[in-house]
Amino acid sequence: MSLSWINPYYLLVSSFLLINVLLGVSIYITLSTGQLSLGNAGFMSIGAYTTAILTTRHGIPMPAGIAAGTLLAAITGILVGIPALRLKGVYLAIATLGFGEVVRVLFVNWEKLTGGAVGIAAIPQMGRRILSIFRDTGFSPEDWGLRSNQFISLTVFFLLLAVTVLVILFFLRLGSGRVGRAYSAIRMDEPAAEASGINTTYYKVLAFTQGAALSGFAGALFAHVTSYISPADFTYHRAVEILVFAIFGGSEHLLGPVFGAMFLTAVPELLRPVSGYRNILYGIVLILVIIFRPQGWIDPPLIRRLRGGRTPESR
Amino acid sequence: MEMLTLASVGKNFGGLTALSDISFSVNEGEILGLIGPNGAGKTTLFHVITSVLRPTRGEILFSGERITGLRAHLIARKGIGRTFQNIRLFDRMTVLENVMVGRHGKSRTGTWGAVFRTRSEREEERRIREKARELLRFVGLSGEEGMPAGKLPYGRKRRLEVARALAGEPRLLLLDEPVAGMNDAETREIHELILSIRGLGITVVLIEHDMSLVMRVCDRLVVLNFGQKIAEGTPGEIREDPVVIEAYLGREEEDGGA
Repeated sequence: MSLSWINPYYLLVSSFLLINVLLGVSIYITLSTGQLSLGNAGFMSIGAYTTAILTTRHGIPMPAGIAAGTLLAAITGILVGIPALRLKGVYLAIATLGFGEVVRVLFVNWEKLTGGAVGIAAIPQMGRRILSIFRDTGFSPEDWGLRSNQFISLTVFFLLLAVTVLVILFFLRLGSGRVGRAYSAIRMDEPAAEASGINTTYYKVLAFTQGAALSGFAGALFAHVTSYISPADFTYHRAVEILVFAIFGGSEHLLGPVFGAMFLTAVPELLRPVSGYRNILYGIVLILVIIFRPQGWIDPPLIRRLRGGRTPESR
Repeated sequence: MEMLTLASVGKNFGGLTALSDISFSVNEGEILGLIGPNGAGKTTLFHVITSVLRPTRGEILFSGERITGLRAHLIARKGIGRTFQNIRLFDRMTVLENVMVGRHGKSRTGTWGAVFRTRSEREEERRIREKARELLRFVGLSGEEGMPAGKLPYGRKRRLEVARALAGEPRLLLLDEPVAGMNDAETREIHELILSIRGLGITVVLIEHDMSLVMRVCDRLVVLNFGQKIAEGTPGEIREDPVVIEAYLGREEEDGGA
């Protein structure tokens, strides 16, 4: 059987799509407590740079590098989250956007550590790393009729797919229990949440930190998929792109930004044949959604219909 | 026994004095009515007791313990539940979920328990749901568990807010105009509900404009006017109090002139 139809390019696009899904979930988590953070590109870059520096310059194993990147993003999230609590709505959005830019400028100028505007190249690539582990055990992808680059992009894709599914399950479960109820209560009415015994400060910092950690995690994975990062990957365009996942897909249910990230990553690729018009079409699609479905494509009533009228508490 | 004690509580908003030198106590097991004309400072006083607002002066003691300025969620956890004048429900949650939120302070599952659906998490969620259903029965909303709270008719929203407050197992419940905008039949039902809340051993403070309800339900009344306490006593005493009558109806001029 020939597997030559497996196209590494589309697998790579799909891998970026999954990373975007993780970023979409990350902005949803903070939004689910009513906080609009545009700092996720900044947290993403912290995750990416941390693991890139540790694995490339110091020979730390990749999983440890990814864990360190996630952790550092989470710690930064706590530090930014606590003062950010004093801000609401658009003020919080601007402050966090500013935070992202500060991080980016820091990475541009701290040349000794980050390579400056040039960035960091030759970051260990996760597919290649897995391939070399397989080769050490005597396996070669050619036995399965796969070229090396096909094998690499397949393992990256399936690894990211597994990770993404786990992350979505993680936050779906979190959302359906006591913590998730506290998040939604804070989003819907903060004084009433306080009066119900919810420590709103704690949960807002928790959600902010979880969002930061997930962005950092997605950034770390990104570094090991592309094997090259530079500050240009984490500009405010990225921050706005992540926001658009939530606006387009819907920010009232976790699956909203998941759908938004998938759709908005796939569409430019699908529109490649009419590449001259694709940004125009992308813009038109966005405008139409904002006009006709301001809450985004996916909202809780839609989810309820899709699940056949089952209510959340009947689990 | 004194459950709640206010000692010289004052609240200023800039140069405006909303409350000045308010002192009174709420005894355990009683229903205390807080009445007064519009703008007298009744709701402000609730906000100060529950730390939505910080008092400018004075002390608040709950069961002998100083709670002045404690964070609002801690006050709820100490056992003071409340409803809001303008009804604050979580509109896009279901009726049942609203009450389950009220159970927050009485449960403890964190992120990991929820994610791994540990045995203790499932057990706790079951208990929260059971308690929430019991409270919905208590306030008469059993059939409407799955309905989004925002879609409930007005009167039922008020009951739901009471159920949510009761979910935190308060020893003191502050009700801010529970029958505002209700007809006579609905008012009578809330009247009975308040009495059955007292039957649970919960002390109640009630802000209300409906004098017939206040006179029938309350053991004692505290009257505020322009941020000051002008009277305190049983409904009978308050009804005869010339200061109160003046506050509500205005002064009668001796010579009959305008």
